[in-house]
Amino acid sequence: MADEGSTKTQTAGVTRRVVLATGAGAAAASILPLDESAQAQMPSAHVETGRKVHLSALINGQRVSLELDSRASLLDLLRERLGYTGTKKGCDHGQCGACTVHLDDRPVSACLTMAAKIDGRQVTTIEGLSTGQDLHPMQQAFIDNDALQCGYCTPGQIMSAVACVTQGRATDPDAIREFMSGNICRCGAYVGILAAVEQAAKVMEG
Amino acid sequence: MPSQVFPEIARVDARDKVLGQALYGADINLPGMLYAMLVPATIAKGRVGELDVRRATETAGVVQVLSIGDFPTLRPEISFLGQPIALVVAETIEAAIEGAEAVTAVYEASPFVALMSSPGAHRVPAEGFSTGDVESAFQNAATIVEGTFETPTQHHNPMELFGTVAEWSGGRLTVYEGCQNVDAVKGALAKALNLSPDAVAVKSEHVGGGFGQKSPPKIQTALVAQAARLTRRPVKLVAPRGQVFHIANYRPRSIHNMRLAANAAGRLDAISYDVVQENIPDGGFRSTGYHEDIARLYAIENFRATAADVHIDRQMPRHTRGTHPFPAGFALESLIDEMAHKLGKDPVQFRLDHQAKKDIIAGQPLSPHFLNDCLTEGAKRFGWSKRVPEPGSMRLDDGTLVGFGVACGIFGASMSASEATLRVRANGTTRMISSGHEMGQGMLTAIANVITQGLDINPDRLEIQLGDTTRGPQIATVGERGTASCIPVALKAVHALRAKFEELAGSNPPAGNLHEQLARLKRPYIEVTATELAPGQDPSALKAFRSGGRAGAGPDYPGFTSMSYIAQFVEIHIDPMTRRIRMPRAVSIADIGRVVSPRTAKGQMYGGVVWGFSTALREETEVDPRFAGYLNDDLADYVIAVNADIGNIDVGLIDQPDPRINSVGVKGMGELVMLGTAPAIANAIYHATGKRIRKLPIRIEDVL
Ligand code: FES
Ligand code: FES
Repeated sequence: MADEGSTKTQTAGVTRRVVLATGAGAAAASILPLDESAQAQMPSAHVETGRKVHLSALINGQRVSLELDSRASLLDLLRERLGYTGTKKGCDHGQCGACTVHLDDRPVSACLTMAAKIDGRQVTTIEGLSTGQDLHPMQQAFIDNDALQCGYCTPGQIMSAVACVTQGRATDPDAIREFMSGNICRCGAYVGILAAVEQAAKVMEG
Repeated sequence: MPSQVFPEIARVDARDKVLGQALYGADINLPGMLYAMLVPATIAKGRVGELDVRRATETAGVVQVLSIGDFPTLRPEISFLGQPIALVVAETIEAAIEGAEAVTAVYEASPFVALMSSPGAHRVPAEGFSTGDVESAFQNAATIVEGTFETPTQHHNPMELFGTVAEWSGGRLTVYEGCQNVDAVKGALAKALNLSPDAVAVKSEHVGGGFGQKSPPKIQTALVAQAARLTRRPVKLVAPRGQVFHIANYRPRSIHNMRLAANAAGRLDAISYDVVQENIPDGGFRSTGYHEDIARLYAIENFRATAADVHIDRQMPRHTRGTHPFPAGFALESLIDEMAHKLGKDPVQFRLDHQAKKDIIAGQPLSPHFLNDCLTEGAKRFGWSKRVPEPGSMRLDDGTLVGFGVACGIFGASMSASEATLRVRANGTTRMISSGHEMGQGMLTAIANVITQGLDINPDRLEIQLGDTTRGPQIATVGERGTASCIPVALKAVHALRAKFEELAGSNPPAGNLHEQLARLKRPYIEVTATELAPGQDPSALKAFRSGGRAGAGPDYPGFTSMSYIAQFVEIHIDPMTRRIRMPRAVSIADIGRVVSPRTAKGQMYGGVVWGFSTALREETEVDPRFAGYLNDDLADYVIAVNADIGNIDVGLIDQPDPRINSVGVKGMGELVMLGTAPAIANAIYHATGKRIRKLPIRIEDVL
């Protein structure tokens, strides 16, 4: 499933749990409970400790059922248990926006959301935003307007930016700037981010 | 000849980044991986008396606890708050945090010095610099301006935390971590773990922002590697932001006394400059570096500088974006503005009148540069002519105070010896093994542009490898020398490959692009390796490069000195009621030599203005004198510029090659791009209010 083009982003020698994430849109196998057979794709099955909770949720359109430490954040569930490492940890305190994902179509900080809270709900991460080779209009707009440098804040920016448009908040430059101000970009790509949201809003709103 | 203009191409790693597929250190997940958490010391100085790890060891899920004596990093002597005293390794992050919180320590605390102003702070003079006759210049001066300028402790705070993954396999160690200098990390790991350097690999394919923070090896990396060795499982540590504030380096607070003399003709004649900064003994950030770049900015013949450190008991301060020329330039550019006002001259024209041709430190010519073009182009785009000179004279209808400000910046154009290997294959792919680190500055895109302009290859199937010690030696990507080091050698490799192909194909080459031509010639691939030195270097620099040693040179080369230049203009609005300071627009024009990647260079220009704004009006790390720790050690309280802070920014690049520095004429820009913004803002605030603010960050209360 990982094609020629994407292998170059892999690091040699790593069995890539991200394989799931890469193909999330493309039609990856469904994620099974940890004690079942998804081992090939999820080699580091966690030994969960502490008080355990069971949860079942739709993540990027895939049914996920598992048991995990009740203290785990949604961010650590996504990154460390499910391999959706596109969602980044910049502060773990709800202060930077790098971990923004959509929970039932609303943007949330995954670091401030307890994993247990997503039981029965839907989560979309950057990996689930587009399908196959096609980019989401916001992803394309980020490329077109060079709305990034190091790229670390970018997944969170894009998830917030999509919400900015779908919630009808991309009405003028100042409204966009205001909405996007929960997402820090230390590289300072704000000019490009504004331009990207403006471009994508036109496409998304048709 | 360095004459070719490069077209704009898209950022080559943008697609991976918008898909969330670019892998940073902490994104690596390995089978059986454990999670670690550091336990920080809660005193600034003294000794760990007792350390109780029993409860931590008994915590469910905890696999291993390393504590004092288990590894050299974990020392009983404490020299800064937050110094690691233990590492807890567990099956999950949650268990590791619980275990780390269960560790208790009893300390024997010693008195400490938290701040430069703390009682007992020790002042240590450093070497000064003097040229010309400063004393008589001041004696004969017609006009003198002077001031004491202060810039605060600031932390880099790239968005990427300190993430480390360590894995052992057959006695060999592999570390995944965001670095600006993987070779230094490799060397430090080999030493700390008693390994041959050949047994250590460091991989840093993508770096989530560096800004200087990730140049030196980090204190926790070898410890994580040791934990992986003991547990025989891969270990991941992601240090929390609050801990990073205490274990990462930072920009030291510094105080600058500067005096400027002008003669009766209104020409600048002398600078006298005394600087003192906070530091630790043998710290890695020299107080003697402050005068070095700014002394080359204008034609001012007489210059005298002194420097000193005040020793504090905190972790080591180091290079932070803009390094010495940022605080020094804040002082100089504020005083130049003040002098211009005092002499009744326009601040842009006053700077134009002092164009420097000579490097007064090395006593040799400056390479031709275009600072004056930056100033005139910037003034035009900004609409500087609409400025009414009198302070406080420009207002909006609602009473908002308006200020226009300008300032320049300068940074040494250094280079490193380096090497590149280029292979074009008949199967349609191309690979370059280069050297350096992609931190968002656009190095990959710049290299790709050189290759795709020079060779008829498939641009979509070009792979550039760097930031990985297994690919070959990697230059330290610091002091804005990355692009200037890897671009000339990339061009050389392109030329060598073309020559090799011509030799191969003879006078009648087959049709098609290079891949197709190779296929028709039944050659699976051709490959060349090129090396390049900085001006004046001999081959020993290459040897140093290959063995992880110091391979850099400049900005003073034999016979000439090369610098990068910027002119920045800002408009500042101050609300008449709340005194809130805003920056609705900025213009930034730079001379960075030949522009190799216009798109990513512009990205840096935008980002530099944001950094400058942030350092001028937002950022200060507040040191708690009671503990010598940081009060605002998170991203809510350490305030960084956000999108709503930033108005319209117009950027431009002169794009004239420096004919002397290298074959492409490319100079660096990563540090330069933020240098003029803070003094331009301070100067605009003066223009709006008539108040000179000589310390950063500038707050509402400063303009009440
Ligand atoms: S990591 Fe969640 S907001 Fe910063
Ligand atoms: S692109 Fe680096 S933090 Fe935003």
